[in-house]
Amino acid sequence: MAANATPRIRSTRLIVGLEIHVELATRTKMFSRAPSPACPEFQDSEPNTLVDPVVAGLPGALPVMNRRAVEMSAMVGMALGCTIARTSRWDRKNYFYPDLPKGYQISQYDLPLCGDGAIDIPAAAGGTARIGIIRAHLEEDTGKLGHELPGGQRYEGSLVDLNRAGTPLLEIVTEPDFACAEDVVTFAQELRTLCMFLGVTEGVMQRGHMRFEPNINVVIDTEDGREYRTPVVEVKNLNSFRALRGAIEHEASRQVEAWLADGRVMGPGAKSTRGWDDERQVTLLQREKEDAHDYRYFPDPDLVEVEIDEAWLEAIRAELPELPMARRERFVREFGMLEKDARVLVGDRELCRFFESCQQQAVTAGMPAPEAGAGVAKILLNAGAKRSNERGVAIHELGIGPARVAGIAKLRADGAIDAQGGDALFGILCERDEDPAALAAAEGLIKVRDDAAMDRWIAESIEANAAAAEDVRSGKQAAIGRLVGHVMKASGGAADAKEVRERMLERLGGGA
Amino acid sequence: MVPDPPRELREVVAAVRSGTASAEEETRGILDRIERFDPGLNAFHEVFAEEALAAAREIDRRVAAGDDPGPLAGAVIAVKDNIATTLGRTTCSSRMLESWRSPFNATCVERLLAAGAIVVGKTNLDEFAMGSSGEHCAWGPVRNPWDPERVPGGSSAGSAAAVAAGLCHAALGSDTGGSIRQPAAFTGCVGLKPSYGRVSRYGLVAFGSSLDQVGPLTRSVADAALLLEVIGGNDRLDSTSAATDVAGIAAAAESGTGRLDGVRVGLPSEYLSDSNHPAVNESVRAAAAAMERLGATLVEVHLPLTEIGISTYYVIAPAEASSNLARFDGIRYGRRAEPRAGEDLESIYARSRGEGFGAEVQRRIMIGTYVLSAGYYDAYYRRALQVRRLIGEEFARAFTACDVLLGPTAPTPAFKLGSQRDPLSMYLCDVYTVNAPIAGICGVSVPGGFVEEDGKPLPMGLQLQAPAFAEGGLLRAAACLETALGRCPLAC
Repeated sequence: MAANATPRIRSTRLIVGLEIHVELATRTKMFSRAPSPACPEFQDSEPNTLVDPVVAGLPGALPVMNRRAVEMSAMVGMALGCTIARTSRWDRKNYFYPDLPKGYQISQYDLPLCGDGAIDIPAAAGGTARIGIIRAHLEEDTGKLGHELPGGQRYEGSLVDLNRAGTPLLEIVTEPDFACAEDVVTFAQELRTLCMFLGVTEGVMQRGHMRFEPNINVVIDTEDGREYRTPVVEVKNLNSFRALRGAIEHEASRQVEAWLADGRVMGPGAKSTRGWDDERQVTLLQREKEDAHDYRYFPDPDLVEVEIDEAWLEAIRAELPELPMARRERFVREFGMLEKDARVLVGDRELCRFFESCQQQAVTAGMPAPEAGAGVAKILLNAGAKRSNERGVAIHELGIGPARVAGIAKLRADGAIDAQGGDALFGILCERDEDPAALAAAEGLIKVRDDAAMDRWIAESIEANAAAAEDVRSGKQAAIGRLVGHVMKASGGAADAKEVRERMLERLGGGA
Repeated sequence: MVPDPPRELREVVAAVRSGTASAEEETRGILDRIERFDPGLNAFHEVFAEEALAAAREIDRRVAAGDDPGPLAGAVIAVKDNIATTLGRTTCSSRMLESWRSPFNATCVERLLAAGAIVVGKTNLDEFAMGSSGEHCAWGPVRNPWDPERVPGGSSAGSAAAVAAGLCHAALGSDTGGSIRQPAAFTGCVGLKPSYGRVSRYGLVAFGSSLDQVGPLTRSVADAALLLEVIGGNDRLDSTSAATDVAGIAAAAESGTGRLDGVRVGLPSEYLSDSNHPAVNESVRAAAAAMERLGATLVEVHLPLTEIGISTYYVIAPAEASSNLARFDGIRYGRRAEPRAGEDLESIYARSRGEGFGAEVQRRIMIGTYVLSAGYYDAYYRRALQVRRLIGEEFARAFTACDVLLGPTAPTPAFKLGSQRDPLSMYLCDVYTVNAPIAGICGVSVPGGFVEEDGKPLPMGLQLQAPAFAEGGLLRAAACLETALGRCPLAC
């Protein structure tokens, strides 16, 4: 279609589907006992040291399936609402490349491990968007080709490093359910958090633990009432959220411009693959699908089918922790936390564990659960986050233990210290381990309280609410609210409600 | 003094274990024969004389010290050169792997060594086990010890020739479509193809992974049973190896009183084809009669899919081979063509593989690549898998009526070198052997008498087949038949 004949565009709509590769952090590789570089212990190994006969594809070597990789994949599948196949199969994807030692990649073609799931994400347009999961299958990663010698010197030929070869890779494929780049990024971040929570990956993007490949096209409605769909573009190997967003946004406008220029629409052979140029923030054509490979998939005769029986499935299910989304909702509900605070605490599995043990300690120290949650969260997200930023150390790794965080929360709740005092205590306790109350006293951080005024307000309250006071004396503790309220009002809100309550009970002798 | 020709494996082992014979002397005897006869046979790629003698001395030392030297103590074994050994090279008789040294032993080799066996050398084969004559070798053909103008069969050509000529006590071969049984038939050995999954494939350089099995070539059925017990059994390095217990097979093979009362022997009419050599059909009939005399019941069964097995096999095996041999790309190991200025990767692959692989291997890679290609997969590969299932079902039906199947191992005795120029007629040599691997069942070839050609006696083979993991019954029937028909002597 010539540009001058193109009707005017009324509206455009973006359609994106996503493929995600997650490197599973098993100790050993997908089909051999060689250590895996996705496991933190081995991540900085010298080139070609995580190799055995199976990884190198030596004559006579045979693959043996890593059951843990299957379990991890099934956990991710379950978390994404997928059906876990009772029987799935390994297939060979045949092609030649120097980073592919066997001349084929073991993957799953028509019987994947997980299929047919969905998760809801908060949509940029408001409300939630349901993202369908077509499938999630396991495969082995390839090696890497490089042109740099160890030490950084340039090498004329190509160097093969097989450390990554054979690392278990979970490939998740979504339906084309995304309407904007923002939602894709939200989903990708959600998925990363989820996978980290499940303990299946370290989630370090720079190390390629997760790689994204969006499939993008645009539906163009023209003013003459017709609809055009631009050819689908797959952008390969994006390993940051920034690149993911950038590539989709760039394609959203580039495809409309291309259509205006050449009028090409979706159809057989029209699909192409592009790469992302991070410096110029553009996508670049890699290949048209016409010269796509024939991978000659066929079932791998070296491996048996994966049979997952009820008992194995149950054991995997039992391993599933509370998922990040559910946990976030619970934090908001139970601890009265802000959504944004809950997101920070749940964003990292270790931080979340730390928070939860602080909260437990605070409960042990006598704080009611909701206040304990809210109290320690406030400390971690203020005093903790501040020092974490300053020192470049994660909040849970600052050196302060959960019992100490709980101790500060208790002092705050008792009104013994103020916010500045809490912050100061936190700072000291990151450096040395002491009892927070003793430390607060030694450091002169305990607030001087006006006990005489408190006594006066309590007496006045009892006098003014004689009937309620009588109820409390006879054991009806519910009546205490009115008495405490009076004191709070009299103090102008400065009194500590908890303390007032305790003193009131002491005075009235109705305490438990 | 060591007897020459050498004794059978079990006699040697018994003598070495009891201290009445020296493993070193036995080994020396074998090495002398290799020196004498192998130049005319080309059965060995490599002979490990010093290493074998050192291993033998160690066995003798253990016997003298009162330690158990293992169930194969002093047995001198030759290993087909497509089975990985850390000793020497593992070439698969291919220029591609001319200088390949494996950093690991195949599981079957590890088990042999642990049992006190002495690995004496690596034997010649059709390149990557592709061939039925022993002629498709990178370094010259193997000759049949019964008539050097004739082939020993293949692909375990060197292993069969070495056993038949007394250049070892037994040998390991591999069978994908008949590569143990057919050369055993052509040379007068016993050749056992175990059920799929019985012997670990770890370390066997893959040809058709869903068909390949390692198995023994021996001079007697009892020797084959003993070797199977040593090399068989579950291996966690091979996902397709079966958990089925391998112990007791040797005992089962020797059980009874040499009679076959109650055993139902199926004799498929399809196995007695008019296109077989007449002497072959005669020897099968004679064997049937012998088994009947031993108390067996002859049962008529039908296996109409027998012939179609060849076309099924020559789709499935090349398909798997095309993928299995993709790793030989000259990048990490193996032959790499001298790079030319400005040459691209594709061209280096093509030239390395073109130089490294022989014609028959290239032919099968091309067939395999074709049948797996988009647009042809359904017509060839998928169809072949369907027929594979039908062949399995046909055997299963036959085995409701009989316990073992009797027939010829090959349609003819050994043919002359260079006489099978047409690949298709070569493929037809496997008509009676391809179906056992297709169905995963076990089969054994035992000597079935001689036919005279050009004034020379040529051995013929009888094949017995039994259901998967029924090697005990299979070998017992084979042992009875062997006793009834008599052993085949050494060729030289």
